[in-house]
Amino acid sequence: MNQKRLRLDFIGKRRIWFIISAVVILAGIAGYFVQGGFNFGIDFLGGTLIEVQFDQDVGSSDIRAVLEDEGYGSSIVQQTDSDKYIIRIKAEELGKPINTEEKVSILDALDNGIGINRELLQDRTVDPGFGSVLIRNALIAMAISLAGILIYVWIRFEFRFGATAIVTLAHDVLITLGVYAILNREINTSTIAALLTIIGYSLNDTIVVFDRIRENTPQSRTIGYSGVVNNSINMTLSRSINTSVTTLFPIIILLILGTTALKDFALALVIGIISGTYSSIFFASPILVAWNNRFSRYKK
Amino acid sequence: MRNKKVNIIILIAFILLIGVSVYYIIIQPINLGLDLRGGTQIILRPVEGEESRVTDESLDKAMLIIMDRIDRLGISEPLVTRDISNNIVIQLPGVSDPDRAISVIGKTAQLEFRILNGTFISRIGQTTEFVEFDPDTGEISYGEDPDEVILVDSINSATPLKAGVLYFDEESGKTYLMDREFEFGAVFDEEMAEGIFEYDGATRELILKDMETGDNLGELLIDGRSGAASLVGPVLLTGDKLARASAGYDNNGQIIVSLSFKQEGAGAFEDITTNNIGEQLAIVLDEEIKSAPFINVPISGGDAVIEGINSLDEANDITLVLQTGALPVNLVIEESSTVGPTLGRDALDKGLYAGLIGFVLIIIFMIAYYRGLGLISTLNLLIYVALFWGILAGIGAALTLPGIAGIILTIGMAVDANVIIFARIREEARKGKSPRIAIGDGFRHALRTIVDANVTTLITAAALYRFGTGPIKGFAVTLALGVVLSMLISLLFTRSVLFTAAGLPGLAKPGFIGVRGKEEQ
Repeated sequence: MNQKRLRLDFIGKRRIWFIISAVVILAGIAGYFVQGGFNFGIDFLGGTLIEVQFDQDVGSSDIRAVLEDEGYGSSIVQQTDSDKYIIRIKAEELGKPINTEEKVSILDALDNGIGINRELLQDRTVDPGFGSVLIRNALIAMAISLAGILIYVWIRFEFRFGATAIVTLAHDVLITLGVYAILNREINTSTIAALLTIIGYSLNDTIVVFDRIRENTPQSRTIGYSGVVNNSINMTLSRSINTSVTTLFPIIILLILGTTALKDFALALVIGIISGTYSSIFFASPILVAWNNRFSRYKK
Repeated sequence: MRNKKVNIIILIAFILLIGVSVYYIIIQPINLGLDLRGGTQIILRPVEGEESRVTDESLDKAMLIIMDRIDRLGISEPLVTRDISNNIVIQLPGVSDPDRAISVIGKTAQLEFRILNGTFISRIGQTTEFVEFDPDTGEISYGEDPDEVILVDSINSATPLKAGVLYFDEESGKTYLMDREFEFGAVFDEEMAEGIFEYDGATRELILKDMETGDNLGELLIDGRSGAASLVGPVLLTGDKLARASAGYDNNGQIIVSLSFKQEGAGAFEDITTNNIGEQLAIVLDEEIKSAPFINVPISGGDAVIEGINSLDEANDITLVLQTGALPVNLVIEESSTVGPTLGRDALDKGLYAGLIGFVLIIIFMIAYYRGLGLISTLNLLIYVALFWGILAGIGAALTLPGIAGIILTIGMAVDANVIIFARIREEARKGKSPRIAIGDGFRHALRTIVDANVTTLITAAALYRFGTGPIKGFAVTLALGVVLSMLISLLFTRSVLFTAAGLPGLAKPGFIGVRGKEEQ
């Protein structure tokens, strides 16, 4: 094993890292406008999701024809496997929510129209009003966890560490949401849980580097604050990368093998973990240096 | 040495814990959530109405009634809880016909007896059609260009009497009931207006109000038999005075639900039938007229029947909801979801499979990178999984799909504490310290980092738990449990194992911790 210590210059090139982050975030914002906003799922907009598995292969056009006859022409039919289909009917496009009887009539129509045995894998009906409650709760959860984190980091470190941590978390959430906008992936409750997890995970990464900076700060008299930060990043580099690798192993397997809901969750996490690792090395610590240079508290 | 003793005690404590966990894993199969074993979840939101305030008491009562209804449906292991937004969350594992359950559970079961004042019809030439009413929007609708839209006293009598005329003002969008002398389609004449319809979206009620006093003259309801918009008077008697309800057939083979009143209800029923001879008595269940028999003679004794029922199943459902009593609050279905058993099993298999492969990959990586220390982290992970599984089984917590995701995520994160400790120990060893000293110093430095990094994740988990709905809550629990467990294992167990191992002569070599010896910093 090569034990030669690498010493990389992270701080000197910080403008480059800031530009990379800005470009990725701007690409996400551009993607948002090109795709016409986020692709919110029925969890948020209200509507019905039906997943069925047929005994034999069925063409998606047959399913669409049945739905059109029933007056649900605006529904989205997605093939998830050779004989499995997910039907999404958004309340917004239908102009009203679907009730239980209507859902039963859709299933009956599928049986009569296609004539092949099917099994109902799952169905889900959400009232449009419920989505706004979910969004509100998600935002409250996010705000409370951010406030809690800011206070904790402030107490244990200094205020600017807390503020930098929050900016870094916003960076990771923006990048994850940006990728979702570009890919036009559906945003549902799993995505929100994943986003909150990313906040926790990315912070974990950032704190480890901050902790080293806190420990090494007395050396700023000799090597300067940017030297301290650069050394601290180098010292924690192998840990940052190793932890990301070990965390990503099972999640990538989940992304490959999992069911639809698990894949949704895993995708957000993969993006978030990569972004979180990047931001703890290339984003958070350089911000600390920039902050120190502006309000020089320790020797530059 | 005192330290040695402490280490051995910690190791023994962990071995005992593992033993207890393995015991629970063996005797108690893990509780699977609805999304893994298949089942239905329904979220009901309480709605404020004029007579139904949403309070803690009314919600608790509603939950009890719902429990009672579920029991009578014969569903086992139901779970009825309340979430942070005061929604009632119902979980029904393995229900084969969730749609019936949903329709029964959410029924308000508000039984009312009111006088039927008339029914709205529209006439075009010789054809007569019923006027329709949509309680969701408050809209009254009829066919295009009718000759007249009128209120008739009874659609059941041979010669219905015209009792009033409908007038719709296109400019203001308001609807009026006019005197029967008023000619349909004529210019509006306030003198001839008997009342104005006012719709309340919150209670879904369309009320006919007096033009001047604003008094309640009646309410528009749907007649369940014809679908016709019908005008009824005030509520005279409600279902809470019922003693019994049972489904069956009458002498003509019609499906009925027969009702018998408690004593005070029976008296009130006799009064109503005495005072309204010749009128039609509307029996209204959940804002829908079920039947409206003519009152021919006063009825004493307190027995009545509901007719107009389509099937015996429906009669049984009505009986069930009437027996369990009316819900004290109106509930609307916010979300209902059903997961079939096939999909649930598939998700469980794939989740566990992914976890297993990820687990093996992590072990390979850790041993390749950290050598002897990697073996210790493998041991750590095995203990982590055993304790995690044991706690889930022991406390009977349900494992859900997001829960599996949480476990898989925390397996990766559990290694993190080890990585931090090992990296720190190697760093110390590179300074030329003996493994024993390096381990001690490495731990001391790593402790603070690990605590800070994990407390912040716990803050996030707490926020998720407080504000998340069902499945997200499950995820928060596994995340928090994973963080706490992995912290305990690395800070106590790993520490003791490392110190004990460092005391063994064969292992106390730099190679054990993946370092060749002293290096230049």
